[in-house]
Amino acid sequence: MGAHKGHPYMLTLSADAAETIARHAEATYPDECVGLLLGGLDGDVKTVVRALAVENRWAGQVSLADTDNAESRRDRFYLDPRDYLRADREARAAGMDIVGCYHSHPDDPATPSERDRVGAQGVGGGTGFAFVIQSVRDGRAAEVASWLLVAEGARFEQEELALV
Amino acid sequence: MATITIPTALRQYADGSASVALEADTVGALLRGLVEQHPTLGKHLFSEQGKLRSFVNIYVGDEDIRYLEGEETPVAGGDVVSIIPAIAGGMYV
Repeated sequence: MGAHKGHPYMLTLSADAAETIARHAEATYPDECVGLLLGGLDGDVKTVVRALAVENRWAGQVSLADTDNAESRRDRFYLDPRDYLRADREARAAGMDIVGCYHSHPDDPATPSERDRVGAQGVGGGTGFAFVIQSVRDGRAAEVASWLLVAEGARFEQEELALV
Repeated sequence: MATITIPTALRQYADGSASVALEADTVGALLRGLVEQHPTLGKHLFSEQGKLRSFVNIYVGDEDIRYLEGEETPVAGGDVVSIIPAIAGGMYV
Protein backbone atom coordinates (compact mmCIF):
# COMPACT_ATOMS: atom_id res chain seq x y z
CA MET A 1 0.00 0.00 0.00
CA GLY A 2 1.80 3.16 -1.13
CA ALA A 3 1.26 6.71 0.07
CA HIS A 4 -1.86 8.25 -1.40
CA LYS A 5 -1.07 11.08 -3.79
CA GLY A 6 -4.58 12.53 -3.92
CA HIS A 7 -4.16 14.66 -0.81
CA PRO A 8 -1.41 17.13 0.07
CA TYR A 9 -0.81 15.99 3.63
CA MET A 10 2.66 15.06 4.76
CA LEU A 11 4.40 14.34 8.03
CA THR A 12 8.05 14.93 8.76
CA LEU A 13 9.48 13.18 11.78
CA SER A 14 12.68 14.34 13.47
CA ALA A 15 15.29 11.64 14.09
CA ASP A 16 14.75 12.21 17.83
CA ALA A 17 11.00 11.69 17.59
CA ALA A 18 11.41 8.58 15.42
CA GLU A 19 13.88 7.15 17.95
CA THR A 20 11.53 7.87 20.88
CA ILE A 21 8.66 6.07 19.12
CA ALA A 22 10.79 3.06 18.18
CA ARG A 23 12.28 2.66 21.68
CA HIS A 24 8.89 3.13 23.36
CA ALA A 25 7.32 0.48 21.13
CA GLU A 26 10.16 -1.94 21.94
CA ALA A 27 9.97 -1.21 25.68
CA THR A 28 6.25 -2.03 25.97
CA TYR A 29 6.38 -5.05 23.63
CA PRO A 30 4.38 -7.31 23.51
CA ASP A 31 1.90 -4.66 24.67
CA GLU A 32 0.89 -1.75 22.50
CA CYS A 33 2.34 1.67 23.35
CA VAL A 34 0.81 5.09 22.75
CA GLY A 35 2.02 8.67 22.64
CA LEU A 36 1.49 12.12 21.19
CA LEU A 37 3.32 14.03 18.48
CA LEU A 38 4.29 17.61 19.26
CA GLY A 39 5.40 20.02 16.61
CA GLY A 40 4.24 22.55 14.09
CA LEU A 41 1.68 22.84 11.33
CA ASP A 42 2.53 24.67 8.14
CA GLY A 43 -0.44 24.37 5.86
CA ASP A 44 -0.80 20.64 5.19
CA VAL A 45 2.71 19.78 6.29
CA LYS A 46 3.23 18.70 9.87
CA THR A 47 6.65 18.71 11.46
CA VAL A 48 7.03 16.53 14.51
CA VAL A 49 9.73 17.90 16.79
CA ARG A 50 9.04 15.69 19.77
CA ALA A 51 7.28 12.42 20.45
CA LEU A 52 5.85 12.30 23.95
CA ALA A 53 5.39 8.81 25.41
CA VAL A 54 2.10 8.39 27.26
CA GLU A 55 0.99 5.45 29.34
CA ASN A 56 -1.37 2.99 27.70
CA ARG A 57 -4.27 3.11 30.15
CA TRP A 58 -6.59 0.76 28.30
CA ALA A 59 -9.08 -0.79 30.72
CA GLY A 60 -12.16 -1.03 28.52
CA GLN A 61 -13.05 2.68 28.81
CA VAL A 62 -14.68 2.81 25.39
CA SER A 63 -16.37 0.16 23.31
CA LEU A 64 -14.34 -0.70 20.23
CA ALA A 65 -15.66 -4.16 19.48
CA ASP A 66 -17.87 -6.87 20.96
CA THR A 67 -14.74 -8.81 21.81
CA ASP A 68 -13.01 -6.14 23.88
CA ASN A 69 -10.92 -7.53 26.69
CA ALA A 70 -10.45 -4.86 29.35
CA GLU A 71 -7.31 -6.62 30.60
CA SER A 72 -5.42 -6.82 27.33
CA ARG A 73 -3.04 -4.06 26.35
CA ARG A 74 -1.47 -6.46 23.86
CA ASP A 75 -4.10 -5.49 21.33
CA ARG A 76 -5.75 -2.36 22.69
CA PHE A 77 -4.65 1.12 23.67
CA TYR A 78 -6.32 4.08 25.32
CA LEU A 79 -4.95 7.58 25.39
CA ASP A 80 -6.33 9.10 28.57
CA PRO A 81 -7.78 12.60 28.07
CA ARG A 82 -5.87 13.75 31.17
CA ASP A 83 -2.60 12.79 29.49
CA TYR A 84 -3.74 14.58 26.33
CA LEU A 85 -4.57 17.69 28.38
CA ARG A 86 -1.15 17.66 30.06
CA ALA A 87 0.60 17.22 26.72
CA ASP A 88 -1.51 19.97 25.13
CA ARG A 89 -0.51 22.42 27.88
CA GLU A 90 3.13 21.43 27.48
CA ALA A 91 2.90 21.89 23.71
CA ARG A 92 1.17 25.28 23.90
CA ALA A 93 3.70 26.54 26.48
CA ALA A 94 6.49 25.59 24.06
CA GLY A 95 4.75 27.24 21.11
CA MET A 96 3.90 23.87 19.57
CA ASP A 97 0.75 21.91 18.78
CA ILE A 98 -0.27 18.30 19.14
CA VAL A 99 -0.22 17.33 15.46
CA GLY A 100 -0.93 13.64 15.87
CA CYS A 101 -0.52 10.53 17.94
CA TYR A 102 1.31 7.23 17.65
CA HIS A 103 0.78 3.68 18.77
CA SER A 104 2.46 0.36 18.12
CA HIS A 105 1.35 -2.87 16.45
CA PRO A 106 3.29 -5.71 18.04
CA ASP A 107 3.97 -8.45 15.46
CA ASP A 108 1.51 -6.83 13.07
CA PRO A 109 1.88 -4.47 10.08
CA ALA A 110 1.83 -0.68 10.45
CA THR A 111 -1.64 -0.44 8.96
CA PRO A 112 -4.71 0.71 10.91
CA SER A 113 -7.28 -1.80 12.06
CA GLU A 114 -11.05 -1.43 12.25
CA ARG A 115 -10.56 -0.93 16.00
CA ASP A 116 -8.20 1.96 15.29
CA ARG A 117 -10.81 3.55 13.02
CA VAL A 118 -13.56 3.30 15.64
CA GLY A 119 -11.27 4.65 18.34
CA ALA A 120 -10.14 7.58 16.20
CA GLN A 121 -13.58 9.13 15.72
CA GLY A 122 -12.86 11.73 18.42
CA VAL A 123 -10.53 13.63 16.11
CA GLY A 124 -13.08 13.93 13.32
CA GLY A 125 -12.63 12.57 9.83
CA GLY A 126 -11.09 14.80 7.22
CA THR A 127 -8.51 16.55 9.37
CA GLY A 128 -4.75 16.45 9.07
CA PHE A 129 -4.29 14.82 12.50
CA ALA A 130 -1.66 12.11 12.06
CA PHE A 131 -1.98 8.53 13.26
CA VAL A 132 1.51 7.10 13.23
CA ILE A 133 1.77 3.34 13.62
CA GLN A 134 5.03 1.68 14.60
CA SER A 135 5.27 -1.99 13.82
CA VAL A 136 7.34 -4.14 16.22
CA ARG A 137 8.46 -7.65 15.28
CA ASP A 138 9.93 -10.01 17.87
CA GLY A 139 10.57 -7.02 20.10
CA ARG A 140 12.43 -4.98 17.47
CA ALA A 141 11.02 -1.82 15.89
CA ALA A 142 10.14 -2.46 12.24
CA GLU A 143 8.31 -0.27 9.71
CA VAL A 144 6.56 2.96 10.61
CA ALA A 145 3.75 4.67 8.68
CA SER A 146 1.46 7.68 9.08
CA TRP A 147 -2.29 7.67 8.41
CA LEU A 148 -5.13 10.18 8.27
CA LEU A 149 -8.76 9.59 9.05
CA VAL A 150 -10.69 10.67 5.94
CA ALA A 151 -14.17 10.51 4.39
CA GLU A 152 -15.98 11.63 7.55
CA GLY A 153 -14.22 8.95 9.55
CA ALA A 154 -15.07 6.10 7.18
CA ARG A 155 -11.48 5.06 6.46
CA PHE A 156 -7.79 5.79 6.86
CA GLU A 157 -5.52 6.96 4.09
CA GLN A 158 -1.75 6.79 4.24
CA GLU A 159 0.18 10.05 4.10
CA GLU A 160 3.76 10.61 3.10
CA LEU A 161 6.18 10.28 5.99
CA ALA A 162 9.65 11.79 5.80
CA LEU A 163 12.41 11.23 8.33
CA VAL A 164 14.65 14.26 8.76
CA MET B 1 -15.28 35.49 29.84
CA ALA B 2 -14.25 31.85 29.87
CA THR B 3 -11.78 30.43 27.40
CA ILE B 4 -12.46 27.26 25.47
CA THR B 5 -9.52 25.49 23.89
CA ILE B 6 -9.94 23.60 20.62
CA PRO B 7 -7.80 20.54 19.86
CA THR B 8 -5.62 20.67 16.75
CA ALA B 9 -7.74 18.16 14.88
CA LEU B 10 -10.90 20.27 15.17
CA ARG B 11 -9.40 23.71 14.52
CA GLN B 12 -10.10 23.58 10.83
CA TYR B 13 -13.80 23.74 11.76
CA ALA B 14 -13.13 26.85 13.88
CA ASP B 15 -11.31 29.01 11.34
CA GLY B 16 -8.02 27.73 12.71
CA SER B 17 -8.60 29.12 16.22
CA ALA B 18 -6.69 27.43 19.04
CA SER B 19 -9.04 28.95 21.60
CA VAL B 20 -12.12 31.14 21.79
CA ALA B 21 -13.17 33.42 24.67
CA LEU B 22 -16.90 33.58 25.36
CA GLU B 23 -19.33 34.85 27.94
CA ALA B 24 -21.35 31.96 29.38
CA ASP B 25 -22.63 30.66 32.75
CA THR B 26 -22.45 26.94 32.07
CA VAL B 27 -20.38 24.54 30.00
CA GLY B 28 -23.43 23.79 27.85
CA ALA B 29 -24.01 27.48 27.09
CA LEU B 30 -20.32 27.91 26.33
CA LEU B 31 -20.36 25.02 23.86
CA ARG B 32 -23.54 26.28 22.21
CA GLY B 33 -21.96 29.72 21.89
CA LEU B 34 -18.93 28.14 20.27
CA VAL B 35 -21.06 26.20 17.80
CA GLU B 36 -23.01 29.35 16.97
CA GLN B 37 -19.72 31.00 15.97
CA HIS B 38 -18.45 27.89 14.18
CA PRO B 39 -21.45 25.81 13.04
CA THR B 40 -19.40 23.05 11.37
CA LEU B 41 -17.90 22.18 14.76
CA GLY B 42 -21.37 21.15 15.88
CA LYS B 43 -21.52 17.71 14.35
CA HIS B 44 -18.06 16.85 15.67
CA LEU B 45 -19.07 17.67 19.23
CA PHE B 46 -22.73 16.63 19.38
CA SER B 47 -24.71 13.65 18.13
CA GLU B 48 -27.87 14.12 16.07
CA GLN B 49 -29.78 13.86 19.35
CA GLY B 50 -27.82 16.85 20.64
CA LYS B 51 -25.78 14.84 23.15
CA LEU B 52 -22.03 15.25 23.55
CA ARG B 53 -20.30 12.55 21.56
CA SER B 54 -18.74 9.75 23.60
CA PHE B 55 -15.27 10.34 22.20
CA VAL B 56 -15.39 14.04 23.05
CA ASN B 57 -14.30 14.97 26.54
CA ILE B 58 -14.86 18.36 28.13
CA TYR B 59 -12.69 19.48 31.02
CA VAL B 60 -13.10 22.54 33.21
CA GLY B 61 -9.60 23.11 34.49
CA ASP B 62 -8.42 19.60 35.40
CA GLU B 63 -11.89 18.10 35.90
CA ASP B 64 -13.97 16.03 33.48
CA ILE B 65 -17.50 17.50 33.36
CA ARG B 66 -18.87 13.92 33.51
CA TYR B 67 -17.78 13.95 37.17
CA LEU B 68 -19.07 17.47 37.76
CA GLU B 69 -22.52 18.56 36.62
CA GLY B 70 -22.19 17.68 32.95
CA GLU B 71 -23.29 20.47 30.64
CA GLU B 72 -24.83 22.24 33.64
CA THR B 73 -21.36 22.65 35.20
CA PRO B 74 -20.98 26.35 36.00
CA VAL B 75 -18.13 28.31 34.45
CA ALA B 76 -16.68 31.48 35.88
CA GLY B 77 -14.69 34.24 34.25
CA GLY B 78 -11.12 33.09 33.73
CA ASP B 79 -11.99 29.39 33.61
CA VAL B 80 -10.32 27.37 30.89
CA VAL B 81 -12.58 24.76 29.34
CA SER B 82 -10.80 22.19 27.16
CA ILE B 83 -12.23 20.02 24.41
CA ILE B 84 -10.19 16.83 24.38
CA PRO B 85 -10.56 13.90 22.00
CA ALA B 86 -10.35 10.42 23.50
CA ILE B 87 -8.22 8.23 21.28
CA ALA B 88 -8.26 4.46 21.47
CA GLY B 89 -7.60 1.53 19.20
CA GLY B 90 -6.11 -1.89 18.88
CA MET B 91 -5.06 -4.53 16.45
CA TYR B 92 -7.50 -7.40 16.46
CA VAL B 93 -11.23 -7.89 16.37
